[in-house]
Amino acid sequence: MLQVEAVHKSFDDFKAVNGANLTVGKGEVVAVIGPNGAGKTTLFNLITGQIRRDKGKIIFKGEEISGLPPYEICKKGIARSFQIVNIFPRLTVFRNVQVAVLSQQRRSNSLFRPAKNMVVEETNNILESVGLLNKGHHIAGSLSHGDQKILEIAIALGNEPELLILDEPTAGMSPEETSATMELIKRLAQMRGLTILFCEHDMDVVFSIAQSIMVMHQGRTLIQGKPEEVRNNPFVQEAYLGVE
Amino acid sequence: MILFVVCGGLSFVLGVLRVPNIAHGSLYMIGAFATFTLAKLIGGSAGFWIALIVAPLLVALISLIAERGLFCHLYQREHLMLLLFTFAISLILGDLVKIVWGAEYRSVSPPALLKGSLSILGASLPRYNLFLIVIGPLVAIALWLFTNKTKIGKISRAAAVDREMVGVLGINVSWVFAIAFVIGCYLAGVGGALVAPTASIIIGMDHSLIIEAFLIVTIGGLGNMWGALVGSLIFGVTQSLGVLIWPQFAIVFPYVAVVIVLLLRPKGLLKSVW
Amino acid sequence: MIRSKWFGPLIVIFLVLFILPLFIPRFYTYILALIYVTSLLAMSLNLVVGHGGMFQFHHGVFYGVGAYTIGLILKKTSLPMWIGFIAGPIMAALVGLLIGWFCVRLTRLYFGMLQISLGSLIWAIVFRWYSFTGGDDGIPGIPIPPVISPLKNSYYFILVILVICLIIMYLILKSPFGNTLQAIRDNPQRCEAIGINVRRHQLTAIVIATFFAGIAGVLFVVLERSVFTELLFWVLSLEIFIMCLLGGWFTFAGPILGAAIMVALRTFVGIYTEYWTLILGILLILLIFFLPEGVMGYFQEIFRPRTKGVVEKG
Repeated sequence: MLQVEAVHKSFDDFKAVNGANLTVGKGEVVAVIGPNGAGKTTLFNLITGQIRRDKGKIIFKGEEISGLPPYEICKKGIARSFQIVNIFPRLTVFRNVQVAVLSQQRRSNSLFRPAKNMVVEETNNILESVGLLNKGHHIAGSLSHGDQKILEIAIALGNEPELLILDEPTAGMSPEETSATMELIKRLAQMRGLTILFCEHDMDVVFSIAQSIMVMHQGRTLIQGKPEEVRNNPFVQEAYLGVE
Repeated sequence: MILFVVCGGLSFVLGVLRVPNIAHGSLYMIGAFATFTLAKLIGGSAGFWIALIVAPLLVALISLIAERGLFCHLYQREHLMLLLFTFAISLILGDLVKIVWGAEYRSVSPPALLKGSLSILGASLPRYNLFLIVIGPLVAIALWLFTNKTKIGKISRAAAVDREMVGVLGINVSWVFAIAFVIGCYLAGVGGALVAPTASIIIGMDHSLIIEAFLIVTIGGLGNMWGALVGSLIFGVTQSLGVLIWPQFAIVFPYVAVVIVLLLRPKGLLKSVW
Repeated sequence: MIRSKWFGPLIVIFLVLFILPLFIPRFYTYILALIYVTSLLAMSLNLVVGHGGMFQFHHGVFYGVGAYTIGLILKKTSLPMWIGFIAGPIMAALVGLLIGWFCVRLTRLYFGMLQISLGSLIWAIVFRWYSFTGGDDGIPGIPIPPVISPLKNSYYFILVILVICLIIMYLILKSPFGNTLQAIRDNPQRCEAIGINVRRHQLTAIVIATFFAGIAGVLFVVLERSVFTELLFWVLSLEIFIMCLLGGWFTFAGPILGAAIMVALRTFVGIYTEYWTLILGILLILLIFFLPEGVMGYFQEIFRPRTKGVVEKG
């Protein structure tokens, strides 16, 4: 479904991504791992269009999306959550998700009908599936950190994506919250037939749910394969897992 | 050149405090008015020279009071608030000038040394303008020396880039800001003093100046003093060009130049500190 | 909206304002009308600043363009009045489209600076073009059709147009367009990631806002029968900005309050002293220190129930 081929990106002289390759099949759960600074978030930013690549190709469902702006890429069926919580703090939880749903249904530009009553059912469905329905009227900025990260995911779901990209979805969460969140993600993937691409530092999380793991080191792809292959790969052990 | 002195100060404040100081225009105006009064009091040629030194100090004092008393409490707030604060100060100072000096316009004559014109290359240039052409670069060099060679200057530059780090290093960031602010305002005062003999000193000076100063600072690159120099030159040259080509619309020329620059290089011509 | 609890009181207020001119001296009628015009202008600015988060630093330009358009049409041509009324806002919106198109590519402060420079350019041209625009004298003595030229009639005209505009603005803000605009204000990057063409959305908001500013400019001419270059000068733009701040820029009606306060202050303080800008400056400082959310924002804070997770009412 998603294909990243030999992508490079430099910032001034710093080679953030130096030849990354990634393959994500439909319906898979794929993880990207690597030490800090390996280029994971940059790679995600390249895929979703926040930044432009210098070299290489990014192909989604057979179509090249390398140069498109983020909102176009989103319309093609990719949604993402951000590593640093990136919600709409002044709006209510409900409106946070509603904005995404409205955008998905191409109704953001509707000028004269009150938004209060639009897409209520769809928005509430999403809130219910992530467990935030009872907090719908709370101001997003007042939620706990863990809840805000879940809201992040909920907003991404508002776009009815086919590919959901999650940037460190459990960062900063307690162990209980982490396993609850991963359960949630697994459930959502099954329920909605989503393809999931995520990156994480928590190895337990990664190895428990990923079907394919890509390892990055200093901007390059070391290897991509099934969890066992990756775990037993000597390069990976030396560069990354060994240090853990 | 006068524009440069003023804009250099504005740029400096902008760079260190990250705040566009709208009151800069009012301080400039106070500098001019103060020069007028001092020159009149002391009389004669010496009056101007003394005023040139004292008036900016007066301006600096006013700015210090404003800064220590009120401004420094606002540093944690958003920049928009700081900007509005400087606007409020400019309103207050503007009216204070009206109260103290009245609404008619004043003028100051240049000191004997700088009166009249010199003949250079067949063209007759007013001596005062030559004086300004000399002073401008002197100020530029002085500023450059200050920011690059003195300890305070270097700290200011560091604070411009990363104020938290400077704080962590144990330096009192608040005082650094105070000093930077006062120096910037001092320059505004100098600009006002310098302009006194060349133009009529009136109430609206602050408004017309501040818009030009802002635009110059923006096209030069926010916070970049050489940018302020480049910007002032562009502004001055296009204005003179305008006077030659189409006198009625002379003031339009610099604005067109500014628009062109901003459309091509929105962040300014030189690297900005921001 | 009919069911909103504000509907009743608003009708009452409207009726009161409607019959007021019959009872109060001419001067107060004039001041009220001026407040209406200024409120419309402030509300139009707040669409992009308070709700859109853009640094619209030279909004006055669009006001001035609207005013000059109708002023020139009525004074120099014999076109019927209603063409002037329509042309004013349309010109303002066109200028808004042009200036906005350049500005939305930039962020925050640069947006503001570019706008100030473009706006000042327009000001400079108008300022000097004596033959066409009257230069710094402005255009006095614009003929206004007799049906709205007496003060009372222009008062009603302005009031009705103001109310219509406010209703439209309210609908826009409550619509998906408005909600999305507010989301862009809070987090433009996230909006891009959920499929919103942020720049186009912002540009549309600017065009709408400048259209309303143009209407305000037209109303100004109806009231004052003349046009001045001050309308295009940045100081006015900054004043409008302050009105939004004063009233509370995250609220709907805040700018109206801000405009009312500013106009009232300028008029009544001006009676006692010439130094009303001094008072304004002091007021502003007090505001910055004590009431950063504006007057209306402050009241909203007081009346909001203090529960643990702050809850929003509808």
